[in-house]
Amino acid sequence: MTTVVETHSLSKSYGSVEAISEIGLEVQEGEVFGYLGPNGAGKTTTIRILLDFIRPTSGTASVFGLDSKESSRHIRRRVGYLPGEMTLYDRLTGRDVLAYSASLRGGVDWSYALEIAERLETELSRQVRTLSRGNRQKLGLVLAFMHRPDLIIMDEPSSGLDPLLQQEFHRMVDEVRAEGRTVFISSHILPEVERICDRVAIIRRGRLVTVEDIGTLRERALHRLEFHFGEQVPADAFAGVPGVQDVTMEDGVLYCTVLGSPNALIKAVAGFDVVKLVSEEPHLEDVFLSYYGDGENNAA
Amino acid sequence: MLRSVLSKTVRDQNRSLLWWGLGLIILTVVTMLFYPSLSEATELNDLLVDDNPLIKAFIGDVPDLTSPEGFLNSQIFFLMLPLMFLAFAVAQGSGAIAGEEEKGTLDMLMSNPIDRWRVVIEKFGAMIVTVLALAVVTWLGLAVGAVAVSMEISYVKMAEATLAAALLGIAFGGFALALGSATGRRAMSIGVAGGVGAASYFLNALAPAVDGLELLRWLSPFYYYSSADPITNGLHLGHAGVLVALTAVLLAIAVVTFNRRDLGV
Repeated sequence: MTTVVETHSLSKSYGSVEAISEIGLEVQEGEVFGYLGPNGAGKTTTIRILLDFIRPTSGTASVFGLDSKESSRHIRRRVGYLPGEMTLYDRLTGRDVLAYSASLRGGVDWSYALEIAERLETELSRQVRTLSRGNRQKLGLVLAFMHRPDLIIMDEPSSGLDPLLQQEFHRMVDEVRAEGRTVFISSHILPEVERICDRVAIIRRGRLVTVEDIGTLRERALHRLEFHFGEQVPADAFAGVPGVQDVTMEDGVLYCTVLGSPNALIKAVAGFDVVKLVSEEPHLEDVFLSYYGDGENNAA
Repeated sequence: MLRSVLSKTVRDQNRSLLWWGLGLIILTVVTMLFYPSLSEATELNDLLVDDNPLIKAFIGDVPDLTSPEGFLNSQIFFLMLPLMFLAFAVAQGSGAIAGEEEKGTLDMLMSNPIDRWRVVIEKFGAMIVTVLALAVVTWLGLAVGAVAVSMEISYVKMAEATLAAALLGIAFGGFALALGSATGRRAMSIGVAGGVGAASYFLNALAPAVDGLELLRWLSPFYYYSSADPITNGLHLGHAGVLVALTAVLLAIAVVTFNRRDLGV
């Protein structure tokens, strides 16, 4: 396997503030790699180093085996990038925005670019300043995909996309993977990363927490569930169910946390009259809890 | 127009160029139309008799206000035109890198496979193109005005004097570009470049009348623009060379500093 992105002890400080510290990553060719962490964890800092927008305080980063600083132009030729905070030229139309980037890239397959634009229902004829946030985001995605880059780096890509377009976006990511190309996605939303990534690095407060296969992560993910019962249920009915924690019964409602698969709990609950089920999207902080027990004190 | 950073940057200025060009045409033509009435008012030269340094500070050291050269120097070339070119070029230079950075478009631009030095050079090239375009428009305005009032003046020397003013403007634009490239701060770059521009104007203009300043006059870029009187003597190659060299140094500083630093978000 070929390593596409590799960092060693990558650190970046602003004065005494450490944005990232000792980050070591290896992203393999053909995988969709998630870079998961809360806002301010250092995801954007890492990405901006890969693109040579900023320079590391110490450590190294390489993309396609090329040094991120020395060979930046060669790297960027093969990279598509979607920034987290994207600003496009206000007075250009969408089509002009694409055309400008295409020129600076020495030309792209225009019919492919238009096909991508069409799939995302991108508005091309209006000036960027008249576009909604979601429509700008779509233009940004077209910019990131249109030159068929070997590596696509996206910083919080699905923010602002409506659910239907998110599905289309996920299909596009799957296609890139199927072609053996590589995707690097940063996100603070666990379910999104679960849906499209093969492996996930978790970063918190500038430090790498873990790198896991998505399956392993899923097993460690805590889901908060609520079951509302239509009958009296004994308070200790679910005490011994495997994977179930923090069980409380209150007014006929069971609150609990499930680690990994909810299968055993579902079987146990099935014997009772359930009137309502509430499942919260797993929170990132819950993942940290599962790694640390106490996420606050053991971060360093 | 979207083929390169240079042409895109020029394209971004099309509206601004239109207004500046229009303003310069009006300024030059209308000023020229006053020439016939002024050229007969020889008593105006009495203003010069006292050797008043305050007047000279704004119209230059003109021997005869009613001659074509004296008229053009005092009304257009000594203050107005260099000021206009300076203001336009400083706006361009400060916006080149720092403007894109503050708006947030620099990230998207730099995600393309283009070296940082090349972005600076192309932005600088766009500034040259636009300032020279305004210089051509200015010269046309002067020429049309000169024809209209039958002024006896060399069109070549008018072109040379206009070019000298453009070179001065470009030097200050280069200063603003360097400041913006090094810091990413547009307003600071405009303020400092504009302030230094104003200070160096007065240094050059007041130097002949103020004792200690005379020795420092050579520090002012304006000295290399106006002291050789280009409208009378044509472009002074040595002085033009100083402005070009200064610009080259500032451009090099812009490239090096931009290449070294982190880009702002």
